[in-house]
Amino acid sequence: MKSPEIKKLIRDSLDGKSDAGNIPGSLELAGVSYDFSEGFNEKIMRRLSGASLTIVRDTEFKRSLNYAFYRIALTGAAAIIILMISIFIMQDSFSFNSFLGLGDSYDESIVYLLTGN
Amino acid sequence: MKESFSLAGDDELVKASLDGDKLAFSEIVNRYRKMVARTVKGMLGDSVYSEDIGQEVFVNLYNSLPGFRGEAKLSTYIQRIAINLTLNEIKRRKRFFSMFSHKGSDEMSEYEIADPENEEKREAKEVVNKALMSLNPKFRIIVAMRLLQGYSTKETAEILDLPLGTVLSRLSRAQEQLKGILEKL
Repeated sequence: MKSPEIKKLIRDSLDGKSDAGNIPGSLELAGVSYDFSEGFNEKIMRRLSGASLTIVRDTEFKRSLNYAFYRIALTGAAAIIILMISIFIMQDSFSFNSFLGLGDSYDESIVYLLTGN
Repeated sequence: MKESFSLAGDDELVKASLDGDKLAFSEIVNRYRKMVARTVKGMLGDSVYSEDIGQEVFVNLYNSLPGFRGEAKLSTYIQRIAINLTLNEIKRRKRFFSMFSHKGSDEMSEYEIADPENEEKREAKEVVNKALMSLNPKFRIIVAMRLLQGYSTKETAEILDLPLGTVLSRLSRAQEQLKGILEKL
């Protein structure tokens, strides 16, 4: 396609009322085509592999940390409950109120319960 | 995992990419790389900078895919990313050149013809590139959308998120700017 024809295509694209749908096709036939260099896809995929690997590792670490914290918290809570129950049973003062910390327990009795003196 | 996604629709490709299928995303890149190249190279010229911006477009797309709700077409979504990054690059160049030179960003409109097949084709590409580069970026993007992508004025307005009237008035101003330029080419 000669230069005047290309110029005509450019002018046509500037006419807001006309349909520009077939202009890119005509330009491509005239040799006006755009693309990225060879290996473009590979470069992107390499960049993304690096990024996603970091994300996956980060996510896995967070998940493991959450799991470990969950296990430790549950075990700790269970140990505290068992300890409380065993102390109440040993002192023969097990009741619903004492379990919830209600009622009239004095400071001295708490010290006694905890230290045994 | 699917072996080939060449026949898959965009929705399927997005879904598979979100599930971590790299082949699916590679197919998206393959499908839309020319469209992105037309926008980026049409706006910035055929240079190494355009390659970098092209890569950025797809990396940004990958990172923003979880937020893609499918309200717009995937091509429109990619086109918007390409336009935003390209305009940012033009602004960055303008700032850079205003700091170090009085000549302005037009100095960057130098381009190289990567594949000079024959004289006629080379000339055609030169005319299009020179015409586009001579325009103010505000008008250039609209002309590139029409000339290189074949979008209607309505589609152009939609992609650029501009009122139709603005697109039409910018087209008419681009027409005025190009009148003299095309005569000289």
